[in-house]
Amino acid sequence: MMQRKENGAQWLLLTAVFVIATCGLIYELVAGTLASYLLGDSVTQFSTIIGVYLFSMGIGSFLSRYFDKNLLAWFIKIELLVGVIGGFSAAILFVTFPMAASFRVILYALVTLTGILVGLEIPLLMRILQNKVEFKELVSRVFTFDYIGALLASLIFPLLLVPHLGLIRTSLFFGIMNVAVGWYLANHFKKELKQAAILKFSAIIILLLELVAFVFSENIMNYSETMNYNDKVVYAVSTPYQRIVITRNKRELRLFLNGNLQFSSADEYRYHEALVHPALSSVSNLKSVLVLGGGDGLAVREILKYKSVEKIILVDLDPAMTKIFSSQEMLRKINNNSLLNKKCTIENTDAFTWLKTNKEKFDAVVVDFPDPSNFSIGKLYSTIFYQLLKKAIATGGIAVIQSTSPYVAPKSFWCIDTTIQSSGLYTKAYHNMVPSFGEWGYIMAMPETEHHWFSKLPGDMKFINAGTMQQMFVFPEDMKAHEPLKINKLNNQALVNYFEEEWDKYQDM
Amino acid sequence: MQRRTFIQTALYTVAIGRLLGSCKPVKKIPGKILGASAKIGHLLRDGYKGEVRSVIQKKIVIIGGGVSGLSAARELTRNGISDFILLDLEEKAGGNAAYGVNNSSAYPLGAHYIPTPNNDLKEYLQFLQECNVIIGYDDQNLPQYNELYLCFDSQERLFINGRWQEGLIPHYGVPSTDIEQLNRFLRLMDNFRNQKGTDEKDAFAIPVCNSSKDEIFTALDEITMSEWMDKNGFNSEYLRWYVNYCCRDDFGTTYQKASAWAGIHYFAGRKGKGANAHHSDVITWPEGNGFLVNALKQKTGSNIQCDALAVKIKSLDEGLVVEYLDTKTNTLHRIEAEQCIVAVPQFVAARLLQDDKRKKLVHEKCKYVPWLVANLQLPSLYEGKGVELSWDNVIYNSNSLGYVDATHQLLQQNTLVKNLTYYLPLTNGDCSSARKDASNKTHAQWCELVLADLEKVHPGIRESVKEINIMLWGHAMMQPLPGIIHGNLLPQLAASINERIHFAHADIAGISIFEEAFYQGIAAARKIIQHSPISNT
Repeated sequence: MMQRKENGAQWLLLTAVFVIATCGLIYELVAGTLASYLLGDSVTQFSTIIGVYLFSMGIGSFLSRYFDKNLLAWFIKIELLVGVIGGFSAAILFVTFPMAASFRVILYALVTLTGILVGLEIPLLMRILQNKVEFKELVSRVFTFDYIGALLASLIFPLLLVPHLGLIRTSLFFGIMNVAVGWYLANHFKKELKQAAILKFSAIIILLLELVAFVFSENIMNYSETMNYNDKVVYAVSTPYQRIVITRNKRELRLFLNGNLQFSSADEYRYHEALVHPALSSVSNLKSVLVLGGGDGLAVREILKYKSVEKIILVDLDPAMTKIFSSQEMLRKINNNSLLNKKCTIENTDAFTWLKTNKEKFDAVVVDFPDPSNFSIGKLYSTIFYQLLKKAIATGGIAVIQSTSPYVAPKSFWCIDTTIQSSGLYTKAYHNMVPSFGEWGYIMAMPETEHHWFSKLPGDMKFINAGTMQQMFVFPEDMKAHEPLKINKLNNQALVNYFEEEWDKYQDM
Repeated sequence: MQRRTFIQTALYTVAIGRLLGSCKPVKKIPGKILGASAKIGHLLRDGYKGEVRSVIQKKIVIIGGGVSGLSAARELTRNGISDFILLDLEEKAGGNAAYGVNNSSAYPLGAHYIPTPNNDLKEYLQFLQECNVIIGYDDQNLPQYNELYLCFDSQERLFINGRWQEGLIPHYGVPSTDIEQLNRFLRLMDNFRNQKGTDEKDAFAIPVCNSSKDEIFTALDEITMSEWMDKNGFNSEYLRWYVNYCCRDDFGTTYQKASAWAGIHYFAGRKGKGANAHHSDVITWPEGNGFLVNALKQKTGSNIQCDALAVKIKSLDEGLVVEYLDTKTNTLHRIEAEQCIVAVPQFVAARLLQDDKRKKLVHEKCKYVPWLVANLQLPSLYEGKGVELSWDNVIYNSNSLGYVDATHQLLQQNTLVKNLTYYLPLTNGDCSSARKDASNKTHAQWCELVLADLEKVHPGIRESVKEINIMLWGHAMMQPLPGIIHGNLLPQLAASINERIHFAHADIAGISIFEEAFYQGIAAARKIIQHSPISNT
């Protein structure tokens, strides 16, 4: 009778080993996968995370010698702790990722902590069981279950868990398993434990928390953007002004604002070179540049290629935009740390109101607003706006305005051209091909017509050369408007109507 | 699909919130009831007695700092007359064009827009050019309006048949027979707009006193708007709602009570044309007509005495005296003057003059409707299907006139916290009982009334609203009931007394619109400039 009970306890503890081993490896895989998603370069991420994890397990095993009494209670406590930390690890990593610089610290801290705790478990368990089972048997059984658990984890993780549960819920699910084992052990051995009630109570609280998080995470998933984007969402944040989402795949990183693609790292140079250089290379005495919108710092990166530039003011509404693009490592790599450049001053305020109070004049102005898809953005393409813009352009200066696609929306494109002209500026329209967007259009606006066109082109370009520069100003028939267009004013918002009409056809595809 | 799930979730959340809410005490909404100093004003009604503390001499006293009083002050100043004082009982002059300011924007507490001005109003256009509303004239001599002040698109929307449609004239889900009637009605109004009388005057002019006196038109002032519609076979529910909405909007009077002449004037009086504006366009500011009032005050500011409740006007053989209560110090003061412009509503004027016959006449004939204007500050708004948030947002078949988004005219892209100004003329029942009823309501009761109405189109507004300030206008405007505009009452009330006391107020014009008050002020000032010895020297 006694023997059977002992046996039961032994098998129970070995089952625990199995669960622990599975959970432990799952946390490691979650951390590795998440790091590859978020930081890219999966080989490096996986090998450093596996290394750190195994090393931390070693630390855990080493530390196990300092545990002398109440081993079972300690074992259960550690079980619960692993359940909490491992269970919430994916959620914590997703939430803290926007905090940029500290992300790696948090990532490796979590991996280390989980590793240490998991590393403690096996030695402790072996010592608990050492008087109940012969050593030879013990080692054999414990490690058998440990490795079977590991195999199971490594198979179900990519085949079942990630596709069906996603990372956050996978880690929560195993956190729940961990804690459940802890609770079961506390309950089963309540007579041998001093604080069984407290342990059981803590286990139930943690269990409830993780269950709530599990259910809630599903709720979030219902309307999270992961469904809307083809690629992995590596960053998503809602600011008071917009929804910023960054996705990545093997080839490229993409930025979406309110679901609209702003750039793809694969071909953004085509857009930003075309946006910046025709105007800036034609200004004789280029010292000060104003950028309206363009919080991604990519236009600024191109502007900084002109050594004569002494001052850049970037006005972007959303502080969250300029903050991530000046702090996130992978984004700083794309904009070449442009927003951190000493010449660049960032003003997080509304471009329209900023321009209204501005008294300064600039040699070049780069206007990089989102497309005029609604009334509030439509204001930024109105006569009043361009009248204010005109006042901000110095003699000999040129402004350039991103003006949506002249292929998809020729009326919208030429409506912007008409509106700028009606505000007393000369215009020069051009376009180029940006594979992620399609044919894209830009309009230069200037108080005078005479310029030394494209005379100061900098060297390091991937798209523009003397030939492409000429070609961009040629418009084929299907990019012309073929009808007189309305002027976009605050009180008619003609542009938004053209834009809706023209882009609507593309919405249902 | 995603969006729908989200909206459903949002609705369920709201519904659950409501269920839970029903067992909790109702959320107390911050804010207060503001009022056109009703308590102070009633001192006058109850007869104020006290000892006069000081006496000063002024050539002219203007009583009332609303649009007509300020316009009179501006006209005097323009003619080089500065020896006058304007008394206003409020902390800030401005009358019905009062406004408030919070950290989102300014917002109106009363009148909040002007339609495109008629092109024959020389003085008015000149004033608008002065304050940069008109920035020049095109080659056809049409005024070029400042696009910062022309109402931005989208201007108006109506919630009807479960959806926000563009514009206020019902069309979404409206049967074609009703649409035909609406069109016939609007064509008829276009005809009236262009019609002239045998006296070569516009059938419906602004100011109203410039309208043709042909009987064919003035007869319209003898019946109500709804009677006129019955006669002309306009029985469409949609059309009748729309006309009633218009009458309540401009006159605070239902179409069953408003004179048909006034009702038609709403449509036919507006014929302004700008280089960049049509007669149906409006000019507006976040602070509403507070912008215009500030412009009127610009050069006369130092002559304005606020917190000053005029309590008595007394004609003497030589000149007159005006006594006023300084409501800050609660002391009585006397002004000895030669001329006085009474730019207050007639029910106040009658009391100031202590003229019992006049009091009785006004009491019997002049009906002043109370209005509620509520300003809601709120960070987010659940939106239904259809047109996005516009400047003017009206709900079909609501008791209110809907609300205006005061942040609409701001240049910035996104206003995170909006100011919505909700308008409700209290036209149920007769004016004095509506007024009594209104003055007994608590802030919480008003909030409930406003929210219950807006909740129909914006579920969850109760939870998101941050503050509601209630402005109660006890006597917002005089109703243009049949017989008022073309009857003999107004000339009687408007006649100057002893060539010393002149009247200037929109209520003696018959309809309460900015232009009327503006011209009333000018006319009164000119009487003084032309007839008093001042201008002769």
